[in-house]
Amino acid sequence: MTAYLLNLATLATIFGILAASLNVLIGYAGIFSVAHAVFFGVGAYAGAQVALNLVPDVLLASLAGGLLSGLLSLCLALPALRVRGEYFVAASLGLQMLAVTVFSEAHSLTGGHGGLVGIPPASLLGIDVSSPWRFLAVCVGALTLSLVSIAILMRGGFGRGLMAIRDSESAAEALGKNVPALKTIAVAIGCSLAGVAGTLFAFQLAFINVESFTLEQSVLLMAMVIIGGAGTLLGPLVGTLLLLLLPAVLSFIPFIPATEIGTVQQLVYGLAMTLLMIFRPAGLAAPSTGRR
Amino acid sequence: MPGSLLSVRGLSKEFGGVKAIQSVDMDLVEGVVTALVGPNGAGKTTLFNLICGHISPDAGEVQLAGRPIRGERPHTIARLGIARSFQDLRLFGRMSVRDNVLSALEPTAWLWQPGGRRAARARLHKTEAALERTGLSALAGARAVDLSYAETKFLSLARILVTEARIWLLDEPASGLDPVSRARFVALLKEAVAAGVTVCLIEHNLDIVTELADRIAFLDRGRKLAEGEPAAILRDPELIGIYFGEPRR
Ligand SMILES: Nc1ncnc2c1ncn2[C@@H]1O[C@H](COP(=O)(O)OP(=O)(O)OP(=O)(O)O)[C@@H](O)[C@H]1O
Ligand SMILES: [Mg+2]
Repeated sequence: MTAYLLNLATLATIFGILAASLNVLIGYAGIFSVAHAVFFGVGAYAGAQVALNLVPDVLLASLAGGLLSGLLSLCLALPALRVRGEYFVAASLGLQMLAVTVFSEAHSLTGGHGGLVGIPPASLLGIDVSSPWRFLAVCVGALTLSLVSIAILMRGGFGRGLMAIRDSESAAEALGKNVPALKTIAVAIGCSLAGVAGTLFAFQLAFINVESFTLEQSVLLMAMVIIGGAGTLLGPLVGTLLLLLLPAVLSFIPFIPATEIGTVQQLVYGLAMTLLMIFRPAGLAAPSTGRR
Repeated sequence: MPGSLLSVRGLSKEFGGVKAIQSVDMDLVEGVVTALVGPNGAGKTTLFNLICGHISPDAGEVQLAGRPIRGERPHTIARLGIARSFQDLRLFGRMSVRDNVLSALEPTAWLWQPGGRRAARARLHKTEAALERTGLSALAGARAVDLSYAETKFLSLARILVTEARIWLLDEPASGLDPVSRARFVALLKEAVAAGVTVCLIEHNLDIVTELADRIAFLDRGRKLAEGEPAAILRDPELIGIYFGEPRR
């Protein structure tokens, strides 16, 4: 039981980083990417390869995962500079589909459909951190660091620049904002963080394959951000907890037959999301709207 | 033209057959308030969009103090000292009033603005002063979407006056204002002009034009039909006929 809870807590922490990183794009820069799982995946594969072939050091692997995701984020930044709104959503959808194909076919890098197995237990600067408690601590540390950095950046001029672009790109330009630069940097930050989350995920599961990096995952991440409250610091965490723990909680309800849990989950998810968007469109963590 | 800070020569722009601007020449002279007047669809907003680089012209030149700026990106032109407002304001709706203004002082895209804490304090100071001048101090923490109509117009103005740009291009900044707010706006603009700002103002209300403008450029269907002293332009029966929509030959 403890093992189960520890695993759940670690996954929630990792998804917290993911949702917070997507929030930089969606909530602050207004870039509605449905390709975030791609960068989660890139980070996971890169981190896993470092662990498998070099050393299983979380810091080194995360650095590699974050860096590669940050570099490849240019694939997302490019369309973000050219198109907005629904057109960008379509472009990022294309990238997501492309990436899933690459993940499934590039056997030498990703292990293809079978994925990468036997990722060694994690260490951190020579210390073994592979026990569930220790690895949870590592993940909590990473989450805290991510949130603090995001908070600092978004409270400053950089964050205001992104939000200005989100609210009116042309007005931001007219006030001297270098929109392409701001967007590119925001995308790079968000995607690198997703890459770090990916590496942590690879260590936690010791096994990864393309199933975790599909469109469905991207949509779930987007739902976490929006339900929790896009553009708020803690909203994505609230959304993550809700959407990640919901299945867990449902599976403990005694009168649902085990075979039906999936269906019930989908129903509750769908209903909750629809109701939420009707009654709290700005998300759970957003301050309730009122004048002044 | 002597003293011309911004000069526009032969500027043209067509939108799928609509000649929005046709070889327009215009000079903004330092310290002079020019009103851009003309009926709906005359091309006034398009002229601003062309000058500021939001859309690129089919032909023509724009020079700022002798330096060609045609083809530059909007943010580059803004940093050279041309500030503009939008007819539909385009405030940063989900940001606070203070952040709307403060953001206008933070041009770099890097993670940190240059100058450290000290510069940051100075920016905050300028922001508070701009809010004070536009009467928005009490609303500094409110979100822009929650403002009343007149307040949004003043916030749009505050974003511009805080930048210390040399040239202001204002697109109907006083439209729909109540008399008190309008008087406040006129006073504000006069203050800025006295401080050396060069203004080009799109305005439909001829009372405001008369009160503020030193010159009028009259635009109709993309062409500049006339330019000169307000008294002369406003006395021209043909222009007034066009302006008030009399049937045309
Ligand atoms: N981006 C655009 N695409 C297509 N047509 C445009 C565009 N911008 C302006 N136009 C057209 O160009 C013409 C001039 O429009 P513009 O907005 O410049 O007029 P205006 O003088 O500002 O009018 P108003 O007083 O109503 O604001 C209009 O016929 C308009 O429909
Ligand atoms: Mg207009």
